[in-house]
Amino acid sequence: MSPSSPVASASADDEASTSDAAGSPPVVRATDVTKRYTRGSEPGRLGKLLGRSEPPRVSALENVSIAIEAGEIVGLAGPSGSGKSTLLHLLAGLELPTGGTVTFQGTDLETLSRRRRTRLRLEHVGIVFQHFHLLESLSARANVALPLVELGVGKRERRRRATQLLERMGLGDRIDHRPGELSGGEQQRVAIARALVTDPTLVVADEPTGELDTETGRRILDEFERIAEDRAVVLASHDRPTLEIADRLVRLKDGTVREDGHR
Amino acid sequence: MNPLERLVRWLGIVRVGFSRTLVRAAHTARKRTQVSILGVAIVIALLVVVTGIGVGLATSTTVYDDDVDYWIVPESDGERSALLATDQPQFGSVHDTAAQIDDYDDVDFASPVLSEVVRVQTNDTDEYVMVVGVVDSPGLERVAGISTEPLTHGDPYYADGGYDGEWTGDAVLSGSAASNLEVDTGDDVTIAGNDSFTVAGIDDGSDAVGDMPVAVVQLGELQTVTGDAEYDQADEFVVGTNAPGIEDELEGLYPQSEVLTRGELTMSTTTESGLPLALALTAFVVAVAVGTLFVITTSGLEVVADRRQLATLSAVGISGRSQLGLVAVQTLVITGVGGLVGALAGFGGIRVVNYVATETITTGPIAMSHPLFVPYGVAAAVLVGVLSLPVLLGLTRRVSGGVP
Repeated sequence: MSPSSPVASASADDEASTSDAAGSPPVVRATDVTKRYTRGSEPGRLGKLLGRSEPPRVSALENVSIAIEAGEIVGLAGPSGSGKSTLLHLLAGLELPTGGTVTFQGTDLETLSRRRRTRLRLEHVGIVFQHFHLLESLSARANVALPLVELGVGKRERRRRATQLLERMGLGDRIDHRPGELSGGEQQRVAIARALVTDPTLVVADEPTGELDTETGRRILDEFERIAEDRAVVLASHDRPTLEIADRLVRLKDGTVREDGHR
Repeated sequence: MNPLERLVRWLGIVRVGFSRTLVRAAHTARKRTQVSILGVAIVIALLVVVTGIGVGLATSTTVYDDDVDYWIVPESDGERSALLATDQPQFGSVHDTAAQIDDYDDVDFASPVLSEVVRVQTNDTDEYVMVVGVVDSPGLERVAGISTEPLTHGDPYYADGGYDGEWTGDAVLSGSAASNLEVDTGDDVTIAGNDSFTVAGIDDGSDAVGDMPVAVVQLGELQTVTGDAEYDQADEFVVGTNAPGIEDELEGLYPQSEVLTRGELTMSTTTESGLPLALALTAFVVAVAVGTLFVITTSGLEVVADRRQLATLSAVGISGRSQLGLVAVQTLVITGVGGLVGALAGFGGIRVVNYVATETITTGPIAMSHPLFVPYGVAAAVLVGVLSLPVLLGLTRRVSGGVP
């Protein structure tokens, strides 16, 4: 694990200069990030003429700054609605912030087209969703191998890498099963294998052990600790054992960082 | 990404799209996929049935009827009905040929037909009438829409080429001819200057086209009054038989002749008007239009229902183009399978149509099946899929992306 991670603070500029001085930017950095959502749709021209008011806007994150280095496991803690998932989505490039910037290996995500952001996720980011989001019509192996299809990897190599990862996850005998034929824990492991199959620089996971029994959860956490040796891992969780593997814990509340420190 | 990787990627996308669609059809979205396939199949089945009717009209399938009738006519440009073709090349030695045809197995009757538009007179009136000469025999019920029942069988005046047998003078008039000439059964009429004809019957219920005045007489007697007796000439032959296989032998009787089924003769006007082609074309356009709207609707709903999966694809890095590829493969597989099922169902539809037709309005099948209808149906269905793609791809682009 990295002993000297840039620490989130109110002064993102300070952080940037620190990283630049070190010569290599963090894997991902959020600087004064704000994210607001609109509830309902904006009034159209007719709606405005009829006096329809603007829909209410809800703030999910307010001026959050965080930088994550390779080899670091960062735990995001906080109650429901505190902004953990939103921060994960921003760090993974699934969404863009309303204010502030998110840079991935020094590149501002806002400057990238939607296509290039998708490509960046394919090559550098592995995402594990709380509800797995596997494709129902594909087998476990086909789900894991899907990102490799997009990378233009040949069929034999795709199958080999997907099978190897599934075996490492203890699913060697379930590779041809579809998600509907797997338990929640097995689906979670397939989702983790899919996130790792492209050997990403950053892995983000939303409640990765939320659906798992203790033993399986422990096994998955061991896997996260193992993969974090050469990449950045961000885990959002309510679960204490999950957060215990983090090198650094960031506590969020009401969309702001309340605590950020090494363990 | 180099070209090879690009190719591998697209092959992978097609493979994933194909297997994903099959699994959806069999397991995960069975009902939705089956409804989509069924909708396309119904449209294509209707297309095949209507096309079968169109092709049936164009080629006339009555040759397969139990009560087959053939017409042997001189080769022509086909622009006129054989019965009205009064200045075409004619056949010679027609009585002998008719006897030869009669000798074939399974031939019920064979008669030469001579048609002439001539002046017919009574004491007070005269009228140009189309006079048709035939050799009446059992089975030949009507010629030019006029019943031949009142005629004496066998053309006795011909007398083996001597034209010196018994003169019957029988003439059967259509209702319009009798009305115009103001004659009744038993009245004498003069045909082409010969006054030895008698009205043997009036067919008021004749199904001759329009109000054309028509008279049917013995062939030998008409040949005599029109000068066609010298070479025993006639315009065509009508043959009644139960043996469709006789067509080849009939074609060999005269070197420059055509053998047509009764249906072909009757529908020649229809064929020349291009109605069957118009019918088939209309069916194609309607099927493609309706099919496209149907596929856009069902597959569009499918895409919307799939938006979470599309968002997941986007989240794990599958590009918009690849997602569009997956939707395109899914659409084309569904329409292709629907086309295949529909084409096969269309064959069943054609059988039903022919059964209903023969039981109600015709004596023979009106629609034709052909193995080429299968690739035709599949191709039409795939065209439906291709035409649906722009809308579906636009929709996919709109709903994909974001957080799943």
